[in-house]
Amino acid sequence: MTVSETDYQPEPKQGDSILEIRNASVTFDMDRGESRVLDDVDLDIERNEILGVVGESGSGKSMLASALLDAIVDPGVLYGDITYHPPDGSPIDILDLDKQGLKELRWEEISMVFQGAMSSFNPVRKIRTHFVETLDAHDYDIDEGIERTEGILEDLYLDPDRVLDSYPHELSGGMKQRALIALSLVLEPEVLVMDEPTAALDLLMQRSIISLIQEIKEEYDLTIVFITHDLPLVADIADRIGVLYAFEFVELGPTGEILENAAHPYTRLLLKSTPNLEAPIETMQPVEGSAPDPVNVPSGCSFHRRCPLATQECRDVDPGPYDAGGSHVSHCHHWESAREEIPMSYDLKEIDTGSESAKIGKGDTASRTASAEPVVSLDDVEVHFEKEKGFLDMFDEPDVVEAVDGVSMDIYERDVVVLVGESGCGKTTLGKTAVGLQEPTGGSVNYRGHDIWDVKAGDGDGSISWDEIRRSLQIVHQDPGSALNPHRRVKASLEAPLKRWNDDLDGNDRKQRILSLLEHVGMSPPEDYIDRYPHQLSGGEQQRVALIRAMLMNPDVIMADEPVSALDVSLRVEMMDLMIQLQDTFNTSYLFVSHDLSNARYIAEKTGGRIGVVYLGRLVEIGPPDEIIHNPQHPYTKALCWATPELGADNDDDESPIREIDIPDPTNPPSGCRYHTRCAKAREVCRQQDPGAFDIPDDDLHEAACFRVLDDHEYWDSESITEEDELVAQGDD
Amino acid sequence: MTRHSETPTDDDERMDFEDAIVSDSEASADERIETDGGVGTPFEVVSEYEETRRDRYRKLYDAYVHAPISIIWRDWRARIGFTIVAIYLLMGTVGPLFVEPTSVTEGPALAAPFETMEYPLGTDNQGRDLLSQTVHSTSTILKMVLSGAVFTVGIGTIIGSIAGYKGGMTDTVLSSITDVFINIPGFPLVMVLGLMFDDQILGNPFAIGVLLSIASWGGLARAIRSQMLTLREESFVEASQAMGIGTSTIVFKEIVPHLMPFVVINLTNAGRKVIFEAVALYYLGILPFQDLNWGSILNQAYGANAHARPDAIHWFLVPMFAIVFISVGLTLLGQSLDRVFNPRVRARHEKTTADVEGDGDGETQTQDAMGV
Repeated sequence: MTVSETDYQPEPKQGDSILEIRNASVTFDMDRGESRVLDDVDLDIERNEILGVVGESGSGKSMLASALLDAIVDPGVLYGDITYHPPDGSPIDILDLDKQGLKELRWEEISMVFQGAMSSFNPVRKIRTHFVETLDAHDYDIDEGIERTEGILEDLYLDPDRVLDSYPHELSGGMKQRALIALSLVLEPEVLVMDEPTAALDLLMQRSIISLIQEIKEEYDLTIVFITHDLPLVADIADRIGVLYAFEFVELGPTGEILENAAHPYTRLLLKSTPNLEAPIETMQPVEGSAPDPVNVPSGCSFHRRCPLATQECRDVDPGPYDAGGSHVSHCHHWESAREEIPMSYDLKEIDTGSESAKIGKGDTASRTASAEPVVSLDDVEVHFEKEKGFLDMFDEPDVVEAVDGVSMDIYERDVVVLVGESGCGKTTLGKTAVGLQEPTGGSVNYRGHDIWDVKAGDGDGSISWDEIRRSLQIVHQDPGSALNPHRRVKASLEAPLKRWNDDLDGNDRKQRILSLLEHVGMSPPEDYIDRYPHQLSGGEQQRVALIRAMLMNPDVIMADEPVSALDVSLRVEMMDLMIQLQDTFNTSYLFVSHDLSNARYIAEKTGGRIGVVYLGRLVEIGPPDEIIHNPQHPYTKALCWATPELGADNDDDESPIREIDIPDPTNPPSGCRYHTRCAKAREVCRQQDPGAFDIPDDDLHEAACFRVLDDHEYWDSESITEEDELVAQGDD
Repeated sequence: MTRHSETPTDDDERMDFEDAIVSDSEASADERIETDGGVGTPFEVVSEYEETRRDRYRKLYDAYVHAPISIIWRDWRARIGFTIVAIYLLMGTVGPLFVEPTSVTEGPALAAPFETMEYPLGTDNQGRDLLSQTVHSTSTILKMVLSGAVFTVGIGTIIGSIAGYKGGMTDTVLSSITDVFINIPGFPLVMVLGLMFDDQILGNPFAIGVLLSIASWGGLARAIRSQMLTLREESFVEASQAMGIGTSTIVFKEIVPHLMPFVVINLTNAGRKVIFEAVALYYLGILPFQDLNWGSILNQAYGANAHARPDAIHWFLVPMFAIVFISVGLTLLGQSLDRVFNPRVRARHEKTTADVEGDGDGETQTQDAMGV
């Protein structure tokens, strides 16, 4: 990047920045050439701010995190200057430090929270050992350090004694992540670099940790660099946001400015492509194209190939930082026109929500006609897993995990049902049961009126064969990387269903059909793709191949297990649109599984489907997306809506609707209503009685399993049980 | 197929597209059969050209001959190993045609190597040519190696993968059988069996190979089973199950290729083990033999006290070198063959993908590099 010093001074206010990064580049030598995975980045991190760094995967954001600690892994080489200004004392040039100096800097001054809490702890050592080792390695007093640790753990709403004496596997993901944050704070650093600290966590946990981060920042006087791919997530807490694209910052400015008045086309398009709960779905559009290869970043502005405003200037001249008012900086030649040319969703909302939304009415899907026969119908389905018993407790009752417990649900022709819930709530198991990949331990799964497990066992009436059922119910997996066999080419993977079901085709026919399909889903030229191995495809392309593999079976129902969660934010809308388009072409029904309410809403609203909310193996609420999001009846649905990060600076920080952050142990689910332990509205009767599904009076498609729906239930006379947990409730705010 | 939709591409594009295919596979050009090209959806497309037998063979040749050889040829270990093994194969097959069989008192007793060009590796105490003995015993040894290695790896892989994939009762039964074979003391058993069946195995190297590996497949089966337990949980296996693909196809076409590097190393190790055991048993005089082979040469050399006589030391060294070299060759080949089964390496070397390589690979490589 050619920094034109004339129109912009990178140091606005000298003196209060804690980290100064100048011309930082990271390069890797590869067979194909030099790969620049961080490209001349200039950045000032101010003292006591929360800086959000947002970028898609492969945009260099983790490199930036490692660069701050001078911890680039071999064979990467880091150039440039990174200067650290301690609160007292002279500036330190991080890249000049020797081994001892680096050791003192890392963790003691700048520490880091890594992405995978699961793999950051050694599974054979207790949590306490990790703390002791860290203290010991840096020659800190261990007793004093452990005392401090206990304080930090308490601040993070963990029970210090319990956590310290646990092995990592005994803690839930959220607890581990919090313990990891505590570990990074134990040496009292000045700067905390968090690399996707919540990526592996559930919505509610994510939201709770985000609020905790704000608290600990105040309490421990920290400067936080929060790196994430999820713009809405960081919008709540960051003071400033930097947007990374193709290994350099394209825009940097105060959070409000970035969200409402972004001055770079990429930021604006990214904001538009992010599904959320409020904006009308017509305004959500994918960003065309894909991010450039680090070996071959286009000359000039790296975004010009995908940018609707690109001119010759963008192709030739790398845009320097333009001052877009205040401390807001944009690397775009056309930053002024970008604001006008690319209208944001909330601008559009005022203009017109469009006539298209009117087309997708409630009557569109077959699920609305009561007389229609469901394609797949679940009747009081139970899936219970027995935990493996050890030899010594062979006389004990086995531990049973009730993954799915008494769920009834119908999927009609051309229907879409989106199951939403936290991880471990059984939504994937429920989905697999619905498509006949998991045998239920109770209840029945029917395909067009035939119990599929009876048919498989040969007890059916013979009018339908197992093959026919097997063919009609398909699955698309969460991780496209493992859904395709890494040892088989695209062609071999796609040929498998054809070989199995279309014997009449010879090799050339199969190839021709695969080619035209690849082209159909936008992978052109298809000849290039057909002989590739999965590792030669991007995540989005892998997912497309997995999708058409399922479509080749010509199925009636496809269960899509988090089909977009492994993709970049800017590609999600595109993939969901493709799935919807394929549904139109092939008359399939979808059973989506998602942990993200905004994606669920996008799919369900666009297809006129329903959203089902799953909690600990039960379906607690099901209904049209509008109702679920704007008129949630079950307190858990309300909590999910609350926890879904929203764009927009107006963030009314209302009270947390959950009493406890952690999900109860599924081997020992709470009695009565399973949500009563976390429900802010729970009363005595919830503990004793199990609510069935109740129709919501104002909408016949909307059902919820909560006593509060009924006006004349004894719930209203029952005593509240929330008082005793008052302390916890305060903690979660 | 009953679905109908708009044609995704217009006709012109389709024509170009098919032209491209034709030029792609010129082999099909000699047998063109026009079929109806009018197609409604991409799910009903069929090719205009019927696949010829030649096409199919060309594809098979590319996948199973051209690609593996071009991959292993880039690795020096493989080149050495491949060459050594090839030399032995030639020695075992065409060697006997060029080197005449030797007989007693053919030459002078205990001629040193290179003393006369007639007997380049010298002779033993009865004047028999050592080169001729070595060459003529190669084919016997190779037959043993082949049958032994294939038996070990075949049984081990089949039992292990079926036990691991199926689970439940099948697993219990197969694993129990495996455990029995693991716990049998192999070498003593082979000695006993060798004595019991000496009529059947005399002059039948394939039978000797199987006999030698009768108890050595257990460990491999166990290891394969445990790998299988992990791999069967992968999403692509579930997707195949959902497509209704048969168990044997899933196991042997989808999953076993993941284990091939491991299987191949075991294959060459099993081969070496057969050589060592065979030589040891011949040396100990337990296995009956008609013709001389490396083990029995060693046996006779020992019987004649060759290890204590400097003038006869070559009698020991020649068969020893023969054994060591083939063992080194097999080890090198086995170690380098794992590259053949690595899709990342494979994609880089295959003829058909040579041109598309490059742009798609970048992202993953960077991600690897960045540790994403």
